[in-house]
Amino acid sequence: MSITKSAALVNYAEQAKPARLTKALESLAILNERFVTYDSARHLKYSPWAQALNAANLHITVREDEISAAAGAYQEVAEHLAANLSWPPEAISIRTQGSVSTKTLIRSPMGGEKFDIDAVCEVDISRVQAANPMEFFGSVGRALVELEAQAKRRCWNIPFPRQPFYLEFTPSVPLDNVPTQTLASMAPRYRASRYEKTALAVVDTPTQSWKTSNPAGMSQWVDDTSKRPLIRVMKMEAYAMDEARASVSPVPDQTVEITDTLRVAIRLFKRHRDMCVRRNIIESSTKPISIIIVTLLTTCYEGLADLNRSFEHPVELLVELAAFMPHLVLKLDGKYRVDNPTVEGENFAEKWNDDEGERHRAFMTWCDALSADLKTILALTEPQEISKRVREVFGIPAPSSDGNGLPSIQIPAPKATPASSGLA
Amino acid sequence: MGLDLTFLCSRFPALQPSPISREPGVTCYQLLLPHLPQERAFKWAELRVPKGFPEHGKAFVQLSPDAVLNVPHLDGAGVLCIKGDPGLGPGYTAEERILLLLHAYLEQFLKPWVNGDLDGDFEAEALNYWAIEVMRARSNTNPVRAIWTVDPPPLKARLRNGLLLIPNRIIIAADEQLRITNRVVQSMGQSATQRVKVLIADIPISHAFTPTTWPRTTSDLERILKGRLPSAELLRLQSSHSRRGRDIHRVALLRSPDVAFAYLLPGGPPTVLNVDRGKKTFPPLRKPLPLMTSRIDPDWTVGRDQHPEVQARQAKHILVLGAGALGSPSIDHLAKAGVGRISVVDADTMSSANIGRHLLGADSVGKTKVDAIAQRINSGYPATVVIPHAMTTAEWLKKNTLADVDAVLDLTGEPDVRAQLDRARLSHPCPLLIGWMEPYVAAAHVCVLPSGQRWLQGAQDPMSGLEAVVWPSEVIRQEPGCSSRFQSYTAAAAAHAVALVAECALEMIDSTAGSLDPTVRSWVRGQHFLDKHWPGLLHKEWALSAREHDGLTMIRQFP
Repeated sequence: MSITKSAALVNYAEQAKPARLTKALESLAILNERFVTYDSARHLKYSPWAQALNAANLHITVREDEISAAAGAYQEVAEHLAANLSWPPEAISIRTQGSVSTKTLIRSPMGGEKFDIDAVCEVDISRVQAANPMEFFGSVGRALVELEAQAKRRCWNIPFPRQPFYLEFTPSVPLDNVPTQTLASMAPRYRASRYEKTALAVVDTPTQSWKTSNPAGMSQWVDDTSKRPLIRVMKMEAYAMDEARASVSPVPDQTVEITDTLRVAIRLFKRHRDMCVRRNIIESSTKPISIIIVTLLTTCYEGLADLNRSFEHPVELLVELAAFMPHLVLKLDGKYRVDNPTVEGENFAEKWNDDEGERHRAFMTWCDALSADLKTILALTEPQEISKRVREVFGIPAPSSDGNGLPSIQIPAPKATPASSGLA
Repeated sequence: MGLDLTFLCSRFPALQPSPISREPGVTCYQLLLPHLPQERAFKWAELRVPKGFPEHGKAFVQLSPDAVLNVPHLDGAGVLCIKGDPGLGPGYTAEERILLLLHAYLEQFLKPWVNGDLDGDFEAEALNYWAIEVMRARSNTNPVRAIWTVDPPPLKARLRNGLLLIPNRIIIAADEQLRITNRVVQSMGQSATQRVKVLIADIPISHAFTPTTWPRTTSDLERILKGRLPSAELLRLQSSHSRRGRDIHRVALLRSPDVAFAYLLPGGPPTVLNVDRGKKTFPPLRKPLPLMTSRIDPDWTVGRDQHPEVQARQAKHILVLGAGALGSPSIDHLAKAGVGRISVVDADTMSSANIGRHLLGADSVGKTKVDAIAQRINSGYPATVVIPHAMTTAEWLKKNTLADVDAVLDLTGEPDVRAQLDRARLSHPCPLLIGWMEPYVAAAHVCVLPSGQRWLQGAQDPMSGLEAVVWPSEVIRQEPGCSSRFQSYTAAAAAHAVALVAECALEMIDSTAGSLDPTVRSWVRGQHFLDKHWPGLLHKEWALSAREHDGLTMIRQFP
């Protein structure tokens, strides 16, 4: 029987990775015993961890309403493009990509920092125009000059000084706009993939050439995969809750949290990576990029689903995803590979192959730290300690309340201009 | 005096009127706390009024010890660092001052803390909190007291050798291959009689550590070392021993250009310290010891990172002729400005008559001036090395050339020296500065000449023609023998001349080839100053514009 690529990767990784952590820890063995009588309610044993991780997930997630506030910004960009370029407005379409479209956008550990909204601008231009990628990239930049756009490797960065976000704006053309010959040279092994309809070509400015990309396919893949069931007990949830209510009393919180486990894993793991950078365990310049984390986790999730694996609870799955991750990076012909599964010819780990192994080492260091931290969290049993440790690990500040409700004091009127201090 | 607590409590009911006895010299009043989320809670807050208040001291708010390093803006004792009690100056009553303090406690601290608005504040003053962490861990018997760095952070994490200096227990985070290391060690004298090799993991960081992110345990530190050091270097750090096979001290130095954190790693050799009348041996540490660091690199000591020209100055070799009242303080300024190498030529010995206006003092009387200056600068300014030459300029020029000299400062005031220099610069052209003072420092002049521009104009020395005051013959122009009387001047009056020389010299040293114009810069005192020193003195015509002023700086083209 043929198996999928993701399933093959998971199969391979299973041989390399250690045994399931949730089966090995003493803390969980004790809980297993406590909950053993209520087989259908066994998922409740994870609830302190689920609650703590859920709280962390809620803190780091940039809410939908905050993101939708950025919609006006795309509109502004679209208007600039339409006004300044000769392309017909209907040939230009702008949509989010990256973590916004996969719904995995997170806050930076320093609250004041802007979040990064990635957008792709797809322009349906003629094949003749598409022959020169740099000209295309440059004309988009020139149209955005009033917005102070700065060129980066494949996108234009628009600062939006008065907004809580900045926009990374990637000009692209549909893949079939690119002349056939060029197409053959950029992805010699190009063939139909699952998400080929949305495949694009973007400009890689250092090489002055087209590169394949598929942001819409990527978010579709994450979305499709995240819906696949991996949690066994979920189907029993209603029953379990009734059972629990009747026989285990009191039950602190009966909702099963972090059920959107793939996205929760992506967000929490990205945050953990950001904290590793803050702790100076890895460097910002060589940290694993988000798209690699997304690809590896989604591949893993998909492979587990393809292999019909199941888990008792999202926490169990989360820990497994962390354990699998370092074993999912392929090394073929001496080159690291994290392929974009939605388009041929895009290796997200391209830079890993010419940096003397620095990025790979940073990735492995981070994976080790993540697994070790999750292990210390699972080894705790007291809900308060679990919550404290989760906060520490993911850099979540203590919960706040409304300090403005506290009383005020009326202060005496100022008496005199205070003396200034001289320079000594 | 007694505070009107009834009034204060009516304005701020959380204040409890009965004092708590905690420590002598201060009266404490509890401030009831609102319900705080568990992670934001601390045991207590108190208004504290020092003895003698309101005439002496300021009132403050102190939080319980559990809040230190958990709540920002607290010092090591838990005192809240806010702009609260304005003190006696602005004229408030004692009660008003307390109200202002309590208002600040509420608005600057309690409300924003509860709202979560202070959560990012640890990072802004990271080193203050680090100092608290270091103080908590410190003991008199620690093997190391602090780390001094002498160069910028590396681009990539690396292992390097360092020196533990004994008896002062400072580690220099570099070995003798860097010249500055030797200068720093030399400057410590008796406090650094023994050097012990240590191993340092020098790791660049891009984020300042805060109490929530700095490593707390050996395994936290190992995580960073493992993540950042190349594997071969990590292995060397883990298995390092001295040549005699003993354990050696190992340091993790985590630094950016702005902040640095260091730990002495557990293990290492035992520490032998002088206690009472004998020596005592203390066992190696079992956990990492947090340490403060100081930067001794020239960019910091010279210019607090705000003078990019320091790097170029470090590579310069300047020859200074004359180490008298003008030369010696000018050398001091050049060293403070980060000039890397200064050769000083002067045959004189320090005498008691020099004390009033020389860089050196009575402790140097009887020593050759250049040796005493070299000793002083070399021990005080690690960015500079002064090479003394106790001889005349003529002797120096016999033994040396100007080939490796970037610029010359002639501060001797001697016509012979100027003539000798003109000849020497024919074979090895280099920029020249000539600085001199007129009697009483009624004027001072600095002439800057680019390479290739001669001083002598034919056989003529242009110096007296450049001067600002018409001097009667009674005023002695040249310093005669030591036994003679000489128009004295204060070091304060000479400081203007020194500043003029030092600024012009630095401009000359910083200038690029071809950018230097031959100029004379003059400091000329006004008529009032002249009249105070000698009756009937007059300015020369070119200097007349200084008459009305206390003093004036003027720039002219070199004729």
